Parts: sequence; structure tokens; C-alpha cells
Amino acid sequence: MLKIYRRMWQVNWAEQWQYRANLLMYLLYWLVSPVVYLVVWTTIANSQGSVNGLTANDFITYYLVLLIVDQLTSDITIHLLAYKIQDGTLSGELLKPVHPILTSTLVNNIAFKALTFIVLLPVWLVLSLLFQPNFASVTWGSILLAVPAAMFGFAISFLLGSTITCLAFWTTRVYSISEFYYALGILFSGQFVPLQLMPRLVQQIAQYLPYQLTRYFPIELILGKLSPEQIILNFALDIFWLLIAFLIFRWVWKEGVKRFSAVGA
Amino acid sequence: MHSLKLISTFLKVNLQVALAYRMDTLVNIILNLMWLGWELLSLSIIFSNTKTLGGWGPGELIALLGVFRLVNTLMAALIWPATEKFNTSVRDGSLDYTLLQPANSLFLISFSRIVVWRVWDLALGIILLVIGLSISGGSASLVGLGTFIVLVITGMLVIYSLWIVLVAATFWFVKFDNNVTILHALLDTGRYPSTIYPPWLRLIVTFLVPVAVATTVPMQALRGDLTAWQVLMFFSIGVVAFLVAYQVWRLGVRKYSGASS
Repeated sequence: MLKIYRRMWQVNWAEQWQYRANLLMYLLYWLVSPVVYLVVWTTIANSQGSVNGLTANDFITYYLVLLIVDQLTSDITIHLLAYKIQDGTLSGELLKPVHPILTSTLVNNIAFKALTFIVLLPVWLVLSLLFQPNFASVTWGSILLAVPAAMFGFAISFLLGSTITCLAFWTTRVYSISEFYYALGILFSGQFVPLQLMPRLVQQIAQYLPYQLTRYFPIELILGKLSPEQIILNFALDIFWLLIAFLIFRWVWKEGVKRFSAVGA
Repeated sequence: MHSLKLISTFLKVNLQVALAYRMDTLVNIILNLMWLGWELLSLSIIFSNTKTLGGWGPGELIALLGVFRLVNTLMAALIWPATEKFNTSVRDGSLDYTLLQPANSLFLISFSRIVVWRVWDLALGIILLVIGLSISGGSASLVGLGTFIVLVITGMLVIYSLWIVLVAATFWFVKFDNNVTILHALLDTGRYPSTIYPPWLRLIVTFLVPVAVATTVPMQALRGDLTAWQVLMFFSIGVVAFLVAYQVWRLGVRKYSGASS
């Protein structure tokens, strides 16, 4: 099994490497919103001293860490697989004796991340020079704890993203569904604003949705803002959602493939 | 007269396309409404934590959102579909047929793929603008309103000119099919007043990829932040940009040699 993954890594890395110019463009596209939000909130914090206890530096560090966590935990399965379901080329992959999503798509996702990081790091350093963050609250311990949190985050967003992609077995409008899913994500994951600035009710809902486990939890963990109880609660939620996401994914995939062969595509 | 007839034909054809995919059109409109809800919610979160954003009140930001949506409509209804068509036709050589037609090639490229349902977005932008202005309660003078409209059109002309130069670059560098990504990426900066951005970002969105010229600048005119000279300057920049861009396009077409030759 490990050999399969290694081989797939080589293939997918080479495949992604071809598109490195596109990667730079993708990165530019994806950078703009967080930077704009950073500027909006630091402007407000500077004009009135702080927002709900958050200073300008809190916002700067939050969004700079978000750039890294977002890249670590985001999932691009819909772009890798939905068209294969739609045009029927998935058939070829179904013939292979390994699960197409849990091997090829997963490795492709990770290869994409690895490559983006090569481009992201210099850009991130430039942004750090421009915004002058003070990372005093970050400790080695908090970074170490964030590693499993980010891995959980990626696993959950990968499984949920794959589940959404599998809806392509039933409907051609899978891209619209995923757009809706991601729009909710921007709000509930803390990509738009640190969740503590949301209305109380939204915060309570967000706490138990899987979205915040993929961005807000790892970020706050790195920045050392969480109490031990909150950390334990969130890791418990991680395990819970990972299990749920895996079960839903397995079921949707099984039913989907049944349907796929029934159509005969 | 001739071009008006052409535009109405294009509209008719594209309306038929939209009607053939009624369900998709409906889904698109629903998604569009969802993003509107998202945008308004984000503004309400911002203003539940502060009274002004760099001197701009909630009404003014809603109006700015309206202007942003107008610009976004221009992009989504005309520019992005035209780009797609253009890039494909340079790659496979079908641009030859466009160039052979007895009408201006730039005109044909720009208008033959209008996404008709975006009219809805146009209306939404204007509604947001009116609501925003009435909330901010500023009594806009007739002159202010006039300059505002002129500057919105100027701003769109500037962005359109940049687009012409970017796609014309494809004539020289055929593999340059990422030509409009930079425009696409920076468009999102138009949702907020560029005056709050740090200098380097303000320079980029004012001069390099002038999104702010079409969104923040007209709103500033409405707020009375601009002098007559500045208004005149932005207006002439728009006209000059278009004239330069058109020359670049003509040079590019002359350089183009088809995909097979």
C-alpha cells in the first residue's frame, strides 16, 4: 500500500509541477480576500484602540496565520474529480484495485499543497515585512499542538469536500452546491473574521459545525488563545466530525458508484 | 446604427441560450442572491463592531457595494465570457473568422457573448446604490450625481482598456492564457474604500489594476472628496487609456497570423 502511495506521489507531483505558472496566479487570486479583511479590521482596531478586546496586532497575526492554515487544510477535490464523474472517465479509475478518492485524489491534493507552499513562503515573508506582526504569543508548544489540529482539519475538509463532489453522481449542478457549501464556510470557519466578533448565536452554532475545526481552531491554537478545556473540547469535536464525515463519505460514495454503473456511463 | 443592430442581435441570440437553460439561470440567480446576503451580513458584522470604517458609514459602504456590483456585472456579463471566447479562438485559430467579418473585431469579441441574466445584477446594484445613499442621508446635489455617473463610466472604461491590453498580449505570447487572472484577483478589493488600504496596495488598485478608479473614486466624488481638477484628471485618464488600448489591439491584430500558418 505504501508503495502505491509513493508512486502516486511521484506522478502527481510531476503533474502539478507542469502548472507552476498557473499556481502563482492561483495564489494571487486566493491571497486578496484575507489581505483585504486584514486591512479592514486593522483600520477599525486602530481607529478605536481595539475591537471587542482585539488589537490591531491580534488581527494582523490572525490573518497571517490564516493564510498558512487555510493552505494546509483546504481541499480541491471538486476540481480534481467532479468532471471525471460527469464525463465518465472515472470508469478507468474504478477498474484499479484501490479507492480512487482515498489514493489518487488525496495524494494529488497534498502534492498541490506542497507545491503551493514553495510559492507561498516568500510571499508570506513579504507580507510579514509589510504588516510587521508581533508573534509573541506563539510558543513551540502551541505550534506542536497545531500540527494534529491541522491534520484533523484537512482530513475533515477533504472528506466533506469529497462527499459534496460525489453528489455529481446524482446532479450536474454539483458546482453550485459546492459554491453554497464554501460560502457558508467563509462565514463559519473564521475566514472572514475571528469568530468571537460574530453575533453570539452565530458563534454558538459555529462552535459545533465542522467548519471552524478547519480554520479557526488551528489558528487560535497556534496563537495560544485557547484554554486547556477549549483545546480538549475541540479535539473531541475533531474526532467526532472525522468519524461522521468518514461515514457519510463512505455511504455517499457506495451509493454513487452503484448509480454510476447503473447508468452505464 | 449598424452596431446597435448588431448588439440587439447578440442580445436576442444570448437570450435564447439563457432560455434554453432556464434551470441553470434560476440556480445562478439564487447563488447570486446568496452572495448578496453574504455581503450584507459581512457589512452588518463590521458595523456591529464600529461606527465608521476609515470615515465611511454603513450607508456609504452599501452604496459602494452597489457600485462594485455594477462593475462586477460588466465583468461577469461581458468581459469574462468574451475572454474565454477570445483565448480559445486564438489557440485554435478560429479568430480568423471573426477578423474576416465586416465589423470592428474588438466590438465583435466584446459583445458577442453577453450573459443576459446579469441584467438582474445590474438592477440589484442600482437598488443597493439608492438604498445606501438614502441611509447615509447625504443630500447629493445634481452636479455631484452627474459627476458620479460620469466617473463610474470612466472607471469602467479604464478597466475595459486594461482588459484590452491584457488580452491583446496573447497575440505576442500565445501561451499567456492566464491573461486576466490579475484583474480577476484584485476585483475583490473594490468592495471596500481604497482609502483604508496601506499605500502599496492603494497604488496597485489605483494605477496598476485600477479597480478603485471604478468603485472608490466615483463614491468619493459623491461624498464631495474630489476637486474639479481631480474629476477632470480621472476623466481624461479614462479617455487616454481607451485610445492607447485600442492602438495596442490594432497592432496585435496586425501581428496575429492564425494558428495554422
